[in-house]
Amino acid sequence: MKKSSIIGMVIIAIAIGVIISTYTDSSTYGSFDDAQKTKKELHVVGKLNKSKVMVYDPQKDANYFSFYMIDNKGKECKVEFTGTKPQDFEKSEQIVLTGEMEGNAFHADKILMKCPSKYTQDKLETTEYKAQDKKS
Amino acid sequence: MDTAFVGEHLLPGKLGQFFIILSFGTSLVALVSYFFATVNKNKEDLSWTKLGRWAYRLNLLAVIGIGSCLFYIIYNHLFEYYYAWAHSSKTLPVYYIISSFWEGQEGSFWLWTFWEAVLGCIVIYKAKTWENSVMTVISLSQVFLATMLLGVEIFSVKIGSSPFLLLRNAIEAPIFSRADYLSLIQDGNGLNPLLQNYWMVIHPPTLFFGFASMVVPFAYGIAGLWEKRYKEWVKPALPWALLAVMVLGTGIIMGSFWAYEALNFGGFWAWDPVENASIIPWLTLIAGVHVMIAYKNSGHSYFTALFLIIISFILVLYASFLTRSGILGETSVHAFTDLGMSGQLLIYMFAFIAISAWLIAVNWKKLPITKKDEETYSREFWLFIGAIVLVVSCIQIIATTSIPVYNKVFGTSIAPPTDLIAHYNKWQIAFAFAIATISAFSQFLKYKKTDVRKFFISVLVSFVVAILLTAVVVYFTDIYHNVMYILLTWSAIFSILCNAKILGEAFKGKWKLSGSAVAHIGFAFILIGALIAAATHKVISVNDTGIGFGDEFSKSNNPRENIILYKNEPVKMNKYTVTYLGDSTSGVNTYYQVNYKVFDDNGKVKENFTLSPNAQQNAKMKQIIASPDTKHYIFHDVYTHVSSVPLKEDEHDHNGESDDSKYLPPVTHEVSVGDTVRYKEGMIIVKSIDRNAQINDIKLEKGDVAIGMNLEVKNDQGTYESEPIFLIKGNTKVDFGKKVDEAGLKLRFTNVLPDKQKLELTVYEMPKSESKDWIVMKAIVFPYINLLWGGTIMMVIGFLLSIFRRSKEVKTA
Repeated sequence: MKKSSIIGMVIIAIAIGVIISTYTDSSTYGSFDDAQKTKKELHVVGKLNKSKVMVYDPQKDANYFSFYMIDNKGKECKVEFTGTKPQDFEKSEQIVLTGEMEGNAFHADKILMKCPSKYTQDKLETTEYKAQDKKS
Repeated sequence: MDTAFVGEHLLPGKLGQFFIILSFGTSLVALVSYFFATVNKNKEDLSWTKLGRWAYRLNLLAVIGIGSCLFYIIYNHLFEYYYAWAHSSKTLPVYYIISSFWEGQEGSFWLWTFWEAVLGCIVIYKAKTWENSVMTVISLSQVFLATMLLGVEIFSVKIGSSPFLLLRNAIEAPIFSRADYLSLIQDGNGLNPLLQNYWMVIHPPTLFFGFASMVVPFAYGIAGLWEKRYKEWVKPALPWALLAVMVLGTGIIMGSFWAYEALNFGGFWAWDPVENASIIPWLTLIAGVHVMIAYKNSGHSYFTALFLIIISFILVLYASFLTRSGILGETSVHAFTDLGMSGQLLIYMFAFIAISAWLIAVNWKKLPITKKDEETYSREFWLFIGAIVLVVSCIQIIATTSIPVYNKVFGTSIAPPTDLIAHYNKWQIAFAFAIATISAFSQFLKYKKTDVRKFFISVLVSFVVAILLTAVVVYFTDIYHNVMYILLTWSAIFSILCNAKILGEAFKGKWKLSGSAVAHIGFAFILIGALIAAATHKVISVNDTGIGFGDEFSKSNNPRENIILYKNEPVKMNKYTVTYLGDSTSGVNTYYQVNYKVFDDNGKVKENFTLSPNAQQNAKMKQIIASPDTKHYIFHDVYTHVSSVPLKEDEHDHNGESDDSKYLPPVTHEVSVGDTVRYKEGMIIVKSIDRNAQINDIKLEKGDVAIGMNLEVKNDQGTYESEPIFLIKGNTKVDFGKKVDEAGLKLRFTNVLPDKQKLELTVYEMPKSESKDWIVMKAIVFPYINLLWGGTIMMVIGFLLSIFRRSKEVKTA
């Protein structure tokens, strides 16, 4: 057999391995209901429920943060996270959690937030120029 | 709406917009001229070439003009322009004004087009017979880039996004109906604090220089096909490809250094899609460089070289599509948001794919592809294999990074792997092992045919010594628990030894291979440094005393990586005794001094240093943005960042009713002058009464009474003065409490009791611990990370040596 065909076959084998690995390692997006049903880790997309309490009290435990999130299907669930409260958390527009359900709470390993990137936000801060109005 | 707006500076924007149109026009003229110059049969006729040259040079001037206008706008804080308003503020120091220049997409496109303009002018000067065809391709790319900045609407399709857009056109708000709206906009949004780092001043220009320079080898490849000079293009393209690899590699590592120094994710590489997007074309181009050399010396791997050079540039375009189209939104923290230009980026990419594919198809039969197999013991064979391994490694990165793209195209909803870093490392460590090993032994192989016995003898010594050294290294760095780590360490050491031997011969006179030897040694050091630092980095701020919510959490494997430190209360972490000393504020940043001490057995201080990780506090947004501080030793780094700090109080909060909940229930005392009131940590003495107290902002009218109570607070730390005020205005009683933050007190003068001849003092006291200053921080030790940075410098030196050698070859040819 020619060497080049052997090499070609090895490459194809590795490429198949890569595709299978990407597929098996990849996770799924789901809701809290899906998380309840499965034992696998998955991604849940949702919004922070700003009306419910957020707990982060570093003096009691610097590595405990909990909050309530509403997933895209409208279900609310308590989320617990081992770590500090992410910066800017209140301003998040959308949250992507990675983790699994434990009892009635979702344990997040990772929190990814999407903020209305405030440095390019298209909102003028009205309060600021109202204050200026008085002087002019 | 024909409002005449007051105070706007419209000239720089108009001028800038003119330069944008000029840059578009000149690149178009250059494209057309060079095209006709290339297809012109009469090679004596230089008129098209001359026109192309002047158009392209004018293009460079136009691009510089755009940059100058934009810089003028940002530098002078002309907030009537959206770009200046969105990306800068008056408080920014000048060198960060430079970084705000390329914070937005428009600015980074400008950088790209600027470098392409500069590089094109160098090509004009250097390319000789290649000028016409190569410049046609570069001009075409320049036309596409120019459209990105156009910002005009044609048939209601918006093309590009101009950095000279006016704020009042970018945003709708009621204030723009006022002619004097500008006087109301005091300051811009400011630069993202994470970008306020000196590395951000030079990292983006370097990275975009790298991206832009990839067009040159690509243009040579295309030109070679177009002009049917299939073999000739490789030689002049090689130094350009080396330059692109060197600059892009430097830019990527700079970004990783910036992440390590300024971001608090605690590392230097996170396999974030944005990082991957920059390394993908680098991998294919470095593979391309190797097979170009193989082709040049042996005639093998022609198509691989051509394909890799072409695909590298296509992948640059794909990478910019990924990062700029907003498609990565759910998977990456720092991708740009969509500016509605994803269609334009796709057209750019598909245009170049179509041109390349068509040219390859048309010329396919005439390409100098050898039918013969390479010898197994030949350098060209292993150069080819090395390149293939790089390509496969690249395919793996693309496969996972592109998950959001599959979702978009096929409508699926696949999420990226939950443990992303482990997923990539599993594959990439194996690829790195193969590449390092090949880069070691193939240095001893010759082109065409090698004496097998001689080859094994020269490799054997390094092979065995590498095994011994690996045993020592993995034992001392504690990475011998993982087979892959051991193998990677061995391959890197093997590569260092083999290439050092080649370098040793270089000193005896064989200078030719010194560039590659130095670059390979550098690369091997990068691998070892990255491996050891990533595999053995240790979070030392582990809190094992955590109580409270902790019980149910101890089950999960998430380590408790943050620790709380109270001011002046030392905590033992690992071998360090760590004390939080206090904070100081400079500008927008608050620096938290954290002292590290190491004591030897006799209680003597062995090491003593203080780190100042900082955080930007924004009281209005109730948040902090933290940046780490790192103590660099030769063999390890101690890295620290704050994760949570008490927010500074908003100072305009006069009556403070909103935050009363933080205090213990108030205690009310009836007092007279001279009385002493006790509280938990000290006492308060009523010194005197001030009958003419002044209150900011409030005018007293006849009949109003304002009384101040002069108090002296004493505790262990010192004595403080305070004067809460009681006010009767008309028929209402108001009081203005005062805080004594140092003592954790708030004091209110709440009433006057004339019948008892007493005054009412209400004392709010913080719970004991809360009155103290604290920080929550995370500390990580990174061992041997300097090998990574040092290796990078070596690799760059190696590339420089190779560039000199290869460009000399072009000249002598």
